[in-house]
Amino acid sequence: MNAIAARWNAFWFAPAPPLTLGVCRVLFFGSLLLWQLPHDFSPWGAYSRVFWMPIWLFETTGIQPLPPTAIAWLQTIWKAALLLSAVGLFTRPAMIAAFGIGTYLMGLPHNFGQTQHFDTLVVFASGALALSHAGDAWSIDEWIAARRERGTQTEQRPRRAQRVIAGEYTWPIKFVWVMMALIFCAAGISKLRRSGFDWIASDNLALLLLRQQYHLSDGEPLTTWGIWVANHPLAARAMAAMSISVEALFPLTLFSRHARMLLVPAGLGFLVGIRLLMGPTFEQFMLCYVFWVPWDRVLYNAPLYAAHAARGVGDRRRELSAAGTGAGAATGH
Amino acid sequence: MRRICLNVVFLFVIAASAFDIAADQEHWPFSQYPMFSGVWTSPTFMWLRLFGVTADGREFALDANRYVAPFDQSRLPKALRRLIDGPDGVARIRAALPDLLARYEELRRADEHDGPPIVALRLYELEWTIDRHAANVDRPDRRRFIAEVRP
Repeated sequence: MNAIAARWNAFWFAPAPPLTLGVCRVLFFGSLLLWQLPHDFSPWGAYSRVFWMPIWLFETTGIQPLPPTAIAWLQTIWKAALLLSAVGLFTRPAMIAAFGIGTYLMGLPHNFGQTQHFDTLVVFASGALALSHAGDAWSIDEWIAARRERGTQTEQRPRRAQRVIAGEYTWPIKFVWVMMALIFCAAGISKLRRSGFDWIASDNLALLLLRQQYHLSDGEPLTTWGIWVANHPLAARAMAAMSISVEALFPLTLFSRHARMLLVPAGLGFLVGIRLLMGPTFEQFMLCYVFWVPWDRVLYNAPLYAAHAARGVGDRRRELSAAGTGAGAATGH
Repeated sequence: MRRICLNVVFLFVIAASAFDIAADQEHWPFSQYPMFSGVWTSPTFMWLRLFGVTADGREFALDANRYVAPFDQSRLPKALRRLIDGPDGVARIRAALPDLLARYEELRRADEHDGPPIVALRLYELEWTIDRHAANVDRPDRRRFIAEVRP
């Protein structure tokens, strides 16, 4: 039992510096803001009650659609909260507002006839960040605190060191990993439970890819490649097999570095493939991929790679220059 | 204390997700993620679609999201199907269509789409035989009139 508890704690609360979580916060809220900026939720408030088919969350809590003006105000506050969360100003209250208001706004459309699934991970990721200390790095709050701290002995740095040791900068990232793994795995299990091996072995995916060309999706397929795949049964079945494999096996990413290296990009490729071939808009889900990148290592190594690349270019230029001189000498006899 | 609270949150979220997966239920944001999980074997399918009617009687399909936003071509037909299949289906559809007509005109006036002005909105159920090149997207095999609304 102790061993299980130790492994559980090691998974969620491994000591880590705040940088990776800070970068994830900037990229997640920043890209979510850019994605949501043109979206207007206020028209949902104008539809008559006949369209209102509340999902569980709204029904049990008794939450109703607000009038369009109120939704417009709410989404303005939400987008401001996303901006503040991204830049890290008043980070904690901004992230709490981003989560609370975002859950309402993103949940609202699902009460109008169909529950779609591209935003659930965004809700979970926002919730995790709202509970976290993601503002301790790459934030205006942190910059202000550092300026105040200069020359004075404050409690800021010891507190941050305690959080590093306590794994406070690890668990939000792991939480997004776990939720993404659960989502992929659930989708795979749903297919296997409802259709079994037929999902792969039949013409199911070919027909599905063709059917999606008839303007049935929340987004149009970005290419007509689905038609090509549908007309090549082996390709369609291989794609179906790969889809279910990636989905069902995705939880391995939580425990194996090798599985992560294979399945994380494969999962992203799978989502991109859906968008290109079938249409459904999983862009918001894809934003959560920022949590898979070890930003501390990337940013630490980036200057080294840049210097290496620059040195490589310099060497190559010198080589070419030398070759040119040599060639000139050669042609000059 | 904080770690205990966080562990409770983790366990709750994982358990709720596992419950929905095991019970094949949906409690957004928790879900069993059932999209595209059924096996499609039929060469035909039916789909509800709105058509606008211009002043000269011409009909055109509102088959792009820009005509029906914030609805889309997946959510709207499914919402309309649920209305039709529910009690007082026809009455509910007649109550719903004016909203969609008003929204089409609102989007047109705001230059959100380039569709023509319409004097009526019709709802049809279309049936297609799936073509291997999807060449018949604009030519369904059959269509069944369901309802019409005028401003």
